[in-house]
Amino acid sequence: MATASVYKGAGFDFSNEVRNTFLSERGIPLPKATSTGTTIVGCLFKDGIILGADTRATEGPIVADKNCEKIHFITDNIRCCGAGTAADTEFTTALISSNMELHALSTGRKPRVVTAMTMLKQMLFRLVPQPTHYHRPPSSIAPFPYRYQGHIGAALVLGGVDATGPQLFTIHPHGSTDKLPYVTMGSGSLAAMAVFEAKWQPNMEVRIPHAHPLPTYAHSPPPPPQRAEALDLVCAAISAGIFNDLGSGSNVDACVITASHTEMLRNLVKPNERVQKERSYQFRRGTTAIKKESIRSLIVDEDVTSITGEAMDIS
Amino acid sequence: MSDRIYLGLPGLATDVTTLKEVFRYRVNMYTIKEEREIEPETFAHLVSSTLYEKRFGPYFIEPVMAGLEKTPSGAYKPFIAATDLIGCLNFAKDFVVAGTASTKLYGVAEGLWEPDLEPEDLFETCAQTLLNAVDRDAYSGWGAEVHLITKDKVIKRTLKGRMD
Amino acid sequence: MASAEGGAYSYSLTVFSPSGKLVQIEHALAAVSSGTTSLGIKASNGIVIATEKKSSSILIDDSMIDKVSVICPNIGIVYSGMGPDFRVLVAKARKSAQAYWKVYGEYPPTKVLTQEIATIMQQATHSGGVRPYGVSLLVAGWDITRGPCLYQVDPSGSYWAWKASAIGKNMVNAKTFLEKRYNDDISLEDAIHTALLTLKEGFEGHMTEKTIDIGIVTVPSQAELEAGKIEGTGRVKPTFRKLSEEEVRDYLAM
Repeated sequence: MATASVYKGAGFDFSNEVRNTFLSERGIPLPKATSTGTTIVGCLFKDGIILGADTRATEGPIVADKNCEKIHFITDNIRCCGAGTAADTEFTTALISSNMELHALSTGRKPRVVTAMTMLKQMLFRLVPQPTHYHRPPSSIAPFPYRYQGHIGAALVLGGVDATGPQLFTIHPHGSTDKLPYVTMGSGSLAAMAVFEAKWQPNMEVRIPHAHPLPTYAHSPPPPPQRAEALDLVCAAISAGIFNDLGSGSNVDACVITASHTEMLRNLVKPNERVQKERSYQFRRGTTAIKKESIRSLIVDEDVTSITGEAMDIS
Repeated sequence: MSDRIYLGLPGLATDVTTLKEVFRYRVNMYTIKEEREIEPETFAHLVSSTLYEKRFGPYFIEPVMAGLEKTPSGAYKPFIAATDLIGCLNFAKDFVVAGTASTKLYGVAEGLWEPDLEPEDLFETCAQTLLNAVDRDAYSGWGAEVHLITKDKVIKRTLKGRMD
Repeated sequence: MASAEGGAYSYSLTVFSPSGKLVQIEHALAAVSSGTTSLGIKASNGIVIATEKKSSSILIDDSMIDKVSVICPNIGIVYSGMGPDFRVLVAKARKSAQAYWKVYGEYPPTKVLTQEIATIMQQATHSGGVRPYGVSLLVAGWDITRGPCLYQVDPSGSYWAWKASAIGKNMVNAKTFLEKRYNDDISLEDAIHTALLTLKEGFEGHMTEKTIDIGIVTVPSQAELEAGKIEGTGRVKPTFRKLSEEEVRDYLAM
C-alpha cells in the first residue's frame, strides 16, 4: 500500500545499533535524550476528569525546556499526560491519537478512553526482536530471542469522558495499567500523591479559574480541606511536585474534561515567572570581530516591461 | 536546507554528513512532489520523525533549526527549534542550543538574550554567546560562524575566535 | 472463447488490445457509469460534493449508508460505482493521510492525497491477479497552498482538477446542466443549491434528507488562519464536514 512516507516501512530501524554499541564500548557516550522528570496527575471530580502537569523538560541535570507541554491531545474528549523519555511520550501519544482518529472515522462513534488505554498498553508491552550482535561471542546473547518491552520509556496518565462516563488510567512503560479515582506519575509522583491522599474526596466540584483567581501555592497556604475543590487540588498536587521534586518545575498546566466540553488550561499558575532583567545586556554593535562576511540576497530581481497597444493574438 | 531554513547538526562527524544528505534528499523530494517549499515547522517535524525512526539505534546528532515561516497574511515570522538525538522537538520562543558546549550555552544565552532584538543586535548577542561559551568548552572552538537570516538577505559571518 | 465485446483481451487486465486499449479499464468505467450520480462544485468560498443515496428496498436501514466520506479534517471524498471498492479506497486514503501527518505534523494537501489515491488505483491496472477499482471519485479539500481544490480520479488512475464535475449514471446531463449554471464567483450556498438542482435532474424517486449525502469544504477566514492551531490540541479547525440530515432537509426546503 502506498503511504505518505516514501522513506520507511513500519516500525523502528535498528541499523545503527551495532555501530552505537561499538562506539560506546570505545568510550564515546551517547548524547542524553530529553526526558521529563515530571509530575503528572489526574483525578476524578463530580462531572469528569482533571489532568495536571508541570512544564519542565530535562537533559540530565540541565533544564532543556522551561515551559514544555506534557498534556497531549488524543481526541477531543481524551487527553494524556506523559512522563519519561520526552520523545517517547510525544510519539506514543501522537501514534495513539492518529489510530484513535482512524478508529473514530471507521466506527462513526465518539472514541472511548478504554480503547486508547488498550492501544497504549498493547503497544508498550509488545515484544521486539533483539538486534543481533554479530561481533559478540554467543555466550553474551540473551537466552530469549525476544525481550519484554519497557524500552519505550513512556509513563502515562490517560483521562477522558466518554459514553461510559469519566475514565482515568495510568499506563506504565512496561504496559501495566491501573484504574483509580486519583493518580500521579513521574519523579514528582510521591509529592503529588501525598497531596491527593490527604485531600482528595469523592464528588468534588471544579472551580472555574476565571471566576475566582487561584492562589499561587508558592506563597500562600493551601485552602482548608472543606473548600478543597478539584482544580485547586490538582494545582496543589502539581505545585508539590514543582517545589519538592528537582525533576519537575516551572508552571502548572491543567485540563478539565467534562461530558460536554474539554478545557485546556495552559500555564494555569505560573509560580516561577522570570522577573524583568535589571538592565539590558545588549552589546555595542561591532563588538564581535569578523573575519569574513558574505551576503546572499533573497530578493529575486524583477523587470517589469509594460506592454502597450494591442493585446497579443492568442487565438 | 532552503533559502529560509537553516539546520545546524552538532554531533558525530559521520552522522553529520549522512543526515545532511538525508535531509537534502527528503526536502528536495518534498519540494518536487508537493510543488511548494517546505515550511520551517513542517521541516522540524520531518527532522523529528526521521530521527525517531532510529529510536533504538539513533544518530549521534542534536539538530538545531532556524528559519522564517510565512504567516497566512504573507509576512515572515522567525522560527527556531531543536530536537534531541531521538527527535523530541523543542519549539522555544527565546533560544535553542546544542552540542558539546550546550551546558555553557544555556547559561550564557539565558543571561544575554532579550526579546525583540534588531538583526544586528541579535547578531552581537548570538556571536558573543557562542564565542564565550565555546571558550570554556574543550571540544568546540577553532573559529565560529553566524548566519543572520532576515526577510530579504542572509548574512554569513566568520567570527574571529581562539585558535587553540 | 472470446466474448463479443473485448475479444480475448477482455480477460487479461495487463494485456493491451491491438488497438491500444486495456479493455478491463473500460469495463470499470462502464461500472462507474451505471452507478448513482455524484457531483462536486467548487465555489468562491468552498466546495460542495453531493450524491444520491439509493436504497433498493425500503427495508434497508439507510441511516447506515455513508457515501460521502471524511478522509482527514481537510479532505472528503464521494464516489460513483462499486461501494465495496470505495470502502477499501477510503480506508487506504485515511491511512495514507495519517502516515503523512505522522511525518510532517500536518494533513496532506488535497493534491498530494489525490495523487496517493490515484497511485493506488493505477497500481490495480498494472498488477497481476487483480482488477481495477470500479469507482470514480471526487476529492474535495482545502489546504493553505492551493486553497479549495476539487479533483476527479478515474479507475485508470488518472486525475484532473475541476471547477465542477459529475460522475455516474447521469454524468453527461449533469455536466451539461453544471456548465450552464456555473460561474466563477458562485457562493457556497448557491453551489449547494445548484448541486441539489443538478441531482434532481434524473433523480429516481423522492429527494429527501435520507436519500441525499452532502459534504462541504469551507475556506477558513483570515482571522482563523492567523489564529492557527486550537490551543492545547495541536490541531487546526477542520475544513471538511458532512452536512447533517437536518441541514440537508433545510437546504431541500429552500
